[in-house]
Amino acid sequence: MKVMVVDIAIVGAGGAGLRAAIAAAEADPALNIVLVSKVYPMRSHTVAAEGGSAGVTQRHDSLEHHFNDTVTGGEWLCDQDVVDYFVAHCTEEMVRLEHWGCPWSRLADGHVNVRAFGGMKIERTWFAADKTGFHILHTLFQTSIKYPAITRLDEHFCTALVVDDGRCYGVVAIDISSGEFTFVAAKAVVIATGGAGRVFLQNTNGGIVTGDGMAMVYRHGVALRDMEFVQYHPTCMPGSGLLFTEACRGEGGILTNKDGYRYLQDYGLGPPDPWPRNKAMELGPRDRLSQAFWHEERKGRTIATRNGAAVNLDLRHLGAKKLRERLPQICELAESFLGIDPAERPVPVRPAVHYTMGGILVNRETASTLTGLYAVGECSSIGIHGANRLGSNSLAELGVFGKVAGEAAARCARSLPPGPMATLKKQADDVRRRAVDLIRNEAGGERLAVLRDAMAQSMETGCGIYRLDAQMKQTCHTLAELKNRYRRLRLDDTSRAWNTEWLAAIELGYQLDVAQAMAHSAFARKESRGAHSRLDGFEQRDDANFLKHTLAVYRADGPPAISYMPVNITRSAPGKRAYGAEGEHLEGYRKEQTQGTNP
Amino acid sequence: MIAAEWAAKRRVTVEVLRYRPEQDADPSLQAYDIPYTEGMSVLQALQHIKDHIDGTLSFRWSCRMAICGSCGMMIGGKPQLACQTILRAGEDRPLRIEPLKHFAIERDLVVTMSGFISKLESIFPFIIPKTSRATTEGEYLQTPAQLARFENFSDCINCMLCYAACPQFGENPDFLGPGVFALLQRYNGDSRDGGRERRMELVHSEDGAWSCTAVGYCSDVCPKHVDPANAVNQNKTNSAVDFFFRFLPRRRSPEREA
Amino acid sequence: MRPPYLRAIDPHWWAKPPYLAYTLREATGIAIVAYALVLLIGVICLALGENAYEGWLGFLASRWSLALHAMILIAMVFHVWTWFAIMPKTMPRLIIGGYYVEPRLITAAGIMVAALTSLLLLLIALMISQ
Repeated sequence: MKVMVVDIAIVGAGGAGLRAAIAAAEADPALNIVLVSKVYPMRSHTVAAEGGSAGVTQRHDSLEHHFNDTVTGGEWLCDQDVVDYFVAHCTEEMVRLEHWGCPWSRLADGHVNVRAFGGMKIERTWFAADKTGFHILHTLFQTSIKYPAITRLDEHFCTALVVDDGRCYGVVAIDISSGEFTFVAAKAVVIATGGAGRVFLQNTNGGIVTGDGMAMVYRHGVALRDMEFVQYHPTCMPGSGLLFTEACRGEGGILTNKDGYRYLQDYGLGPPDPWPRNKAMELGPRDRLSQAFWHEERKGRTIATRNGAAVNLDLRHLGAKKLRERLPQICELAESFLGIDPAERPVPVRPAVHYTMGGILVNRETASTLTGLYAVGECSSIGIHGANRLGSNSLAELGVFGKVAGEAAARCARSLPPGPMATLKKQADDVRRRAVDLIRNEAGGERLAVLRDAMAQSMETGCGIYRLDAQMKQTCHTLAELKNRYRRLRLDDTSRAWNTEWLAAIELGYQLDVAQAMAHSAFARKESRGAHSRLDGFEQRDDANFLKHTLAVYRADGPPAISYMPVNITRSAPGKRAYGAEGEHLEGYRKEQTQGTNP
Repeated sequence: MIAAEWAAKRRVTVEVLRYRPEQDADPSLQAYDIPYTEGMSVLQALQHIKDHIDGTLSFRWSCRMAICGSCGMMIGGKPQLACQTILRAGEDRPLRIEPLKHFAIERDLVVTMSGFISKLESIFPFIIPKTSRATTEGEYLQTPAQLARFENFSDCINCMLCYAACPQFGENPDFLGPGVFALLQRYNGDSRDGGRERRMELVHSEDGAWSCTAVGYCSDVCPKHVDPANAVNQNKTNSAVDFFFRFLPRRRSPEREA
Repeated sequence: MRPPYLRAIDPHWWAKPPYLAYTLREATGIAIVAYALVLLIGVICLALGENAYEGWLGFLASRWSLALHAMILIAMVFHVWTWFAIMPKTMPRLIIGGYYVEPRLITAAGIMVAALTSLLLLLIALMISQ
């Protein structure tokens, strides 16, 4: 097979991968950096992010506020030293993107505008219309073209890492157009492959979000952390799961049930004051809103649509002009897919899986436990999102930690020697053989879509918005069974050039591994925290026993080994997560406590 | 979608142009009979075929919401995005689905994109700042009016439907084309950019603005209202002005004053 | 493995929708050339002397000429209409006083100016001929 010897290989060319590539190229233009992506960069799922990216700018805002919102939103499962670094560098990254041309929406005086977002008590979300991820991705992709140090292997599908003696030496990738393999031998490898939302039935994710990097790394013994924390976004299209940004609520949209009632007030998020209010109900955090929907559905107060239960996202009071100006993509989505004009009728929405808080265990420098291996973006767990991510923190994460990863990879590539080529090539050959083995057409085998749909349905049932002991156990069992059936997979397509069924089969393998890590981590966490909520006796948060990160480690013949590691708590001790009026009251109480009676 | 959900009573036939480089000498149409549910998209139809009927059908797709630009193809003879084209039942002829016109077929509905990508990379598609600024100094100021001057051009999702629409690109594959011109104009029209001079070389060439004859169909098919025809044709004027003024001593362009 | 497959383009693309309208638009250029020739012949006849000029005037009044001029007029109207329809595409977005001027407004304005100018010229021509 073809061998490419480079300094840095970055797997995934979304926001995080592109930012890392640019950072490495700026750190040392003499480096040979290769960006390997299974799709052209502008197809990466960063493109679908809508609402915005956080960065403190307003005078009455502060890093401390952003820190507190993030740690509270994550229900204290965040590593606070990392959050400190994160909030301190968000704004700089947003400005850098602006300098690179990102068309942020502006105030009349030409400064960048910011808007309210879920769980953020002060407006700090920078936005580019309602297509922020699209604009950030295109800005980064186009800017990356400036750097001759960066080469791209577009439409190259990575099937495995090459690892020897505790160090990662590169990746083996399939050139999709020919089906031929390339061993990209690198001194440093950065994984930026995104999340794994496609393991669930209804999700906002594109077809490519299949946990590739998570699984590749996991199979070499690196722990996947906090995998049980999967974010449901409360306002998605029933059936397809397509996203209606949180900014709809940021601009004033409300959620009503079948009786036209703003039901969130029944779940401790109220009261339903008139707009605009940052601490208002509909801008509560995503886990709480999704849970409220679940309860409404149980109570029979949701609306029945062709694609299941839904509630109404009512944007009519915003008026057509503001809607077209601030939420143009939302209007188009509602019109093309639902035939609804949001200025005239409410839009039916329901929660769908959106984001994977957990991922590859990395430290503050984005380094994993394998030498030379880094991970950044949604595929990683660096410690900023905890048990529930706040909207607009993940786009910011791409910039802040993309830079850290690129610079760390550059330092690593300059300092480490190359690897033992003969050994590595042999391993690469083994990788190729195993991958080609999947192209089987024996009779009586399992059909790919059947296994995939069974996995997705099981995850939806067992690891959904609320989790129950028996259902999680069943899901763990189903996944083990599916992994067995996967060994007897049969493909229709036995060709090599553009065989996307083959690639989907490899992706299914990744998904089953990641799903197992999620299900077993969820089962083991006997408490409710953030996005992991149980209704089987563990409804409360249990800081005494579970204020810790879950680690899932791969075992070849059986379920993952679950263990725990401490959370880094510096100054924000776990307290009550309160939003709406309750939150304001609590804040007033906290202020009194810290300031005493002296003004 | 779960197989069990396809219990719909209505069925519909679609014809897809197939081409497998390892076995076919030429492309040929293949008909598929699939269950129909109202509101289903062409992409969902293709996914059903791949999942349950014929796993050998290859096509690009990802986001399902017309923002990633992957799923451009000829649907009923028109360049469209499969994810947002709704399938209709009860038509007298089966819907024909073919790869994007004017591009070489790699396999089935997958066309060669490398030419488009090279052209995109060639036009200096990044900010060449007019004035330098450190990140510590904060953002460049840009009013909503200044943003409005180029914002629509920045909405291009690189889906290449406009290339399938453009007959001049069909005649001359070296034509930079509507999409790349939209990106070029996106930067030339951005108040923060000072790279217009560098990009004009490409505009002047035979494969630049002058390959365009203002057919305008590109803007008609664009799913994001980018109006690439405007990007190309504006630049004919720019090119002509540059041509006539080329003998004058280098004048300070108004943009540089800003 | 074979290289990517190049499909031949339809050599008659210009004669079919959606391009037929474009072809007809471009074809109106022929009408302009035709009319220019008529006027050129008139100028040449004028130079050749009174007989030739009278002959040309006679031709102008004939049924064939009227038919030709009718066709040219239709083509010209279509030409003007499509000319102003495509005109906004040749200019950057027009923003007056903070408002984006829609392309169809620019087209409408252009057509109105053309119509009014034609009317004015027609009136002047009629007045001169009295």
